[in-house]
Amino acid sequence: MTDMWQILGEYFVPFLEATGVTLKLTAVSLMMAVGIGLIVAFMKISKNRGLRAIAYVYITVIRGTPLIVQLMFLYFGITAIVVLSSFWAGSLALAVHAGAYVAEIFRGSIQSIDRGQMEASRSLGVSHWKSMRLVILPQAFRRAIPPLGNQFIIGLKDSSLVAYLGVAELYGTALSAQAENFMPFETYVVAGMYYLVLVLIFSLLVSRLEKRMDPMKGGVAND
Amino acid sequence: MIKVRNLHKYFGQLHVLRGVDLSVGSNEVVVLIGPSGSGKSTLLRCLNFLEEAQEGEIQLSGQVVDPKKDSLDKVRERVGMVFQHFNLFPHMTAMKNITMAPINVKRKSKDEAREEALTLLEQVGLGDKADSYPDQLSGGQKQRVAIARALAMNPEIMLFDEVTSALDPELVGDVLGVMKNLAESGMTMIVVSHEMGFAREVADRVVMMDEGKIIEDASPQEMFENPGEERTRRFLSEVL
Repeated sequence: MTDMWQILGEYFVPFLEATGVTLKLTAVSLMMAVGIGLIVAFMKISKNRGLRAIAYVYITVIRGTPLIVQLMFLYFGITAIVVLSSFWAGSLALAVHAGAYVAEIFRGSIQSIDRGQMEASRSLGVSHWKSMRLVILPQAFRRAIPPLGNQFIIGLKDSSLVAYLGVAELYGTALSAQAENFMPFETYVVAGMYYLVLVLIFSLLVSRLEKRMDPMKGGVAND
Repeated sequence: MIKVRNLHKYFGQLHVLRGVDLSVGSNEVVVLIGPSGSGKSTLLRCLNFLEEAQEGEIQLSGQVVDPKKDSLDKVRERVGMVFQHFNLFPHMTAMKNITMAPINVKRKSKDEAREEALTLLEQVGLGDKADSYPDQLSGGQKQRVAIARALAMNPEIMLFDEVTSALDPELVGDVLGVMKNLAESGMTMIVVSHEMGFAREVADRVVMMDEGKIIEDASPQEMFENPGEERTRRFLSEVL
């Protein structure tokens, strides 16, 4: 136990810096994933068979292969074409991975909105895309928050795998720390605690957001 | 005002509308009656192109609407519709439900749209509910907001699709009252309804549908007191 405190004290600052990298990695990749997810969700519900097929193949491949394989494949694939730092290559790879799951979340929440909503909007002369933007998506986003929050937590933890691309995020820093202090158990426990705290804070934020998005509880409705 | 000629609608193998001809003049109120599955709602939905008929034509103010060429959004601006299940937008207040289309389609200023919405809300007896969300309203209030929402686009004709069927009995009267006022103000209306009292009192014509066809088209008096068709007689004896 004393060893644990010693590790915590010794690596407090480098782990904190690494936490910053982890957060940046997570934020950047998940923002891209939301973009990818939204586009792919629309492809999947589109009337165009080609678009649907592309979305289907993308989601199937991502869900059907291990993340670490995707990371390596994309990392070596991307860096063979363009010069990119391992941070950005890693972010991009994480985004491509999470994007598939986010796409399914968005597709599900868009399709869960009663079709009477679209009909009512169209019956007023509002175009399809405007109805999507003003009527369907605000409701769908609200429904997507809980599963999206869940996916974001998974994304935060998945970002640890980018250590193998040489990014000095939280897990990567623990990886090199235990190589020099010969106390892998204690080092990984401490790194794990950092992740746990991040996830707890994030869960709290998500449940706050959920409450705030409920117009009946004095929250903000879409404007 | 609106003229339907030889309209056919299929859902897969199901032949729902089997050659419907109907003409509704300006300021006229037509109530569509008939057993469930007779095609009343489908006909209404074809009139503002929520469903596309496979055969036949629909004329609006003398012009044939071609769903392939004409902007259906423009057509729908002129044809208001109110639904059985209200379909209010739950994330918007009553006010925003009403102003959404005028602001985004007709490009009205927010102030102008709001002012008109308030007038409409007062017209349907809900002047104090502008800031309420749909979940805070009763079924009857929701449906009156939905009527105001459709009216906000200044339609030439209003379609009502069983608008009181999902309401508690004691709330039906308020909604029918609003519709009656609307009819008296000269709005052209096509109403699918099982409210025979309303049909008798407000309709200029009552149209009876069965199995995808119009089988009788008469004044309310004639329809209810001396229907020409045996099928109409049987239907009316079941619902009255």
